[in-house]
Amino acid sequence: MMFLAGLGILVVGIVTGVLSALLGVGGGIVMVPFMVLVLGLGQQLAEGTSLLVIIPTAVAGVLAHRGSGYLSVGTGLMVGAGGVTGSYVGARLALVTPDDVLQTVFGIVLAIAGVRLLRSGIKSRRAG
Amino acid sequence: MSGAGRRWALPLIGLVGGVASGLLGVGGGIFMVPLLVAFAGLSEHEAHATSLLAILPIALVGAAVFTVEGQAGYWLAALLAAGSLVGAPMGARIMARLSEGTLQAVFGAAMIVVAVVLLLP
Repeated sequence: MMFLAGLGILVVGIVTGVLSALLGVGGGIVMVPFMVLVLGLGQQLAEGTSLLVIIPTAVAGVLAHRGSGYLSVGTGLMVGAGGVTGSYVGARLALVTPDDVLQTVFGIVLAIAGVRLLRSGIKSRRAG
Repeated sequence: MSGAGRRWALPLIGLVGGVASGLLGVGGGIFMVPLLVAFAGLSEHEAHATSLLAILPIALVGAAVFTVEGQAGYWLAALLAAGSLVGAPMGARIMARLSEGTLQAVFGAAMIVVAVVLLLP
């Protein structure tokens, strides 16, 4: 049982990695719902664990993008400079928010962002 | 990236992405990618690559805060990361062959499905 569970988690990790590099995100949108809905973790624990996974995943993604010509280190660092301030504030906020409230916020944000992106993708496909 | 006037937007976009990252436990790319396209003049592919780079310091700080408070599972993270490292190069290879519209549509549809499942009682 333990072995099967471990294998399942590993497979989810592989899917996360593919999506992460494919979409330019850290994969948290895949991992957090998986940990909450499938593994039954609390939202805070799932978020902290997800952020830990995102570190090596992002490193691998950046390395894989090196030769693509799309990567600008200066631009990325300027975004990251503002980003660290934000992530400290955001993480502190998450840790004082109850799990069920946090999960609802997560779901709503995900839905809104998803609808916006889908619409823009369809529009750009029609134009092309 | 063209025009020096757009560079001031970069740290601000990072700030928004960072708050979202820490609050939601994601990288913050779902916010930074569209913002980088809209306000920093990057193409979809450039925005994805830039967002990945910015996510590194953002996730480091966020993970540190959660870890200090005991809200992080090390073994689970290690297992997910191991799988993730195998998957990441595959994703990057697929990305180079996809159009921006397809990338957005697939991304958006996947997010909606996950959100609906999460919001169900």
